[in-house]
Amino acid sequence: MMGSLRRISAVASNTFLEAVRQKVFAVLLVFGLVLIYGANYFTEFSFQEQFKFLKDLGYAAISLTGLLVGLLGASQLIPGEIERRTILTALCRPLHRWEFIVGKYLGLAVLLGVMVGVMALAVGGVLGWKEAQLVAREGSDPAVAAAIQKEARDPRLLQAVLLVEVKLAVVAAVAVFFSTVATSTTFVIAMTLMVYLIGHLQSVAREQWLESGEVVQAGAKLFLAAVAFLVPDFNLYNLIDEIIAGNEVVWRSTLEVVGYSVVYIAVLLTAASVVFEGRDI
Amino acid sequence: MGWFRGRVLALEGLDMEVQRGEVFGLLGPNGSGKSTAMKMILGLLRPTSGRAEVCGFRAGTIAARRQIGFLPENPYFPNFLTGMELVRYYGRLSGMGGSVLEKRIQELMELVRLGGEAGKRPLRTYSKGMLQRAGLAGAMVGDPEILLLDEPTAGVDPAGSREIRDLILELRGRGKTVIFSSHLLEQVEDVADRVIILHRGQKLREGRLEDLLTRKKEWEVSVQGLKEADRKELRGWLEKHGAEVVREGAPRERLEDYFLRSLPEEKRR
Repeated sequence: MMGSLRRISAVASNTFLEAVRQKVFAVLLVFGLVLIYGANYFTEFSFQEQFKFLKDLGYAAISLTGLLVGLLGASQLIPGEIERRTILTALCRPLHRWEFIVGKYLGLAVLLGVMVGVMALAVGGVLGWKEAQLVAREGSDPAVAAAIQKEARDPRLLQAVLLVEVKLAVVAAVAVFFSTVATSTTFVIAMTLMVYLIGHLQSVAREQWLESGEVVQAGAKLFLAAVAFLVPDFNLYNLIDEIIAGNEVVWRSTLEVVGYSVVYIAVLLTAASVVFEGRDI
Repeated sequence: MGWFRGRVLALEGLDMEVQRGEVFGLLGPNGSGKSTAMKMILGLLRPTSGRAEVCGFRAGTIAARRQIGFLPENPYFPNFLTGMELVRYYGRLSGMGGSVLEKRIQELMELVRLGGEAGKRPLRTYSKGMLQRAGLAGAMVGDPEILLLDEPTAGVDPAGSREIRDLILELRGRGKTVIFSSHLLEQVEDVADRVIILHRGQKLREGRLEDLLTRKKEWEVSVQGLKEADRKELRGWLEKHGAEVVREGAPRERLEDYFLRSLPEEKRR
């Protein structure tokens, strides 16, 4: 057990180190600059609108950057190792293939976690900066100052950060699964994007299946059932939009989505390990 | 081999056994199946029929791989790591850690002459010879019984090649089993106890180098200070005793030895 953890952590830390040394974090700098530029853009609006805009921009940027890094990173994890043949020197060690897959995935998940965390801190920093600006300008009335503070220091943003993280972790797990099947990065990206898109329509498929009755034919029903069971429901992460819009989202719902994501990740990594076990290197 | 791709028979009916503690050479031209045989021993490829065993364990199992240290033909190493980090990574993949691993890394880096600052440089700044030596340290980190070296001297200059050869001999001295492939036959001759010759996936010959290469009907003596008149007399004596002179003349040094001898002392190492 100890040996297994040591091997998994070796693969994970090596994956993380590779990303760091390949300057993946440089994108964070670009992100920060975009955010600061955006923060000064719509100053003529009310402070509520300004905060809403900043949160919207911040979380959209986090999601997009994270999606790009997760998708490109995960699609490279295994094919990249096979292409460079570095996988030969790793898999010839006394290491189970599933440990390699899990280690690779965890390395990327930690990278995504750190990136999302740093970007969220940047959003928090910009919100704080905006708060100080607005309080200095409009906060002579204590009620207004309190309202500005409430908008800027919204604890629900933590829920949004957690949801973004798990959503990206699921996308990365889908990409890792496809990367054990294919040798081409393009194929992995295309398939993952397809699942991502279908995942957003998944709830429609499930409703069709549940409510179809005699309207839908047996073949179509089977297909819809397969989609509903196999593809993760990415609509669940729309809770992020609710939080940004200022609506109440209880922690219980957030944790349920986290639990759902963890189960999906576990299933995807198990499937990836099974497929990879039988593959000739 | 994948959809829409034909199957290639890389090895056929290969039967070989390597004894503990011997240096075993896998010879053959490119495409003869040397690397495939190595991958099967490692369990990275599965034979369509037959089986491979390592120290009594089925090839590819964790127990079997624990016995093997592998050096690939080309330096397929994560080049963003330094030499020491590479050995540490491979040590951790082998389940090692803590002060035991750190001590082992120091020992190995000294052994392959990458101690000090050299071990702290990124692999992408290494020469091919340094990469192979770092790879050898990585192969040895788990203290395996068997070292599997795929073309260990390919692309390495003569001095680097000599170092790797010396390392192989040192490993044999430590009781390790070394299986290596090469198409540089002179080098094989210097270190291998036994060889197998493969061609198009089939075994052509196998045996001890002494048995395969010794011309048992001939006898060779190398002498110094023999005058021309004495040589003539010696030839006459040999003919009188029914012996046929097959070759005669001043022996030539091997180019590699001459080259290495020509280098200044510090460059030879």
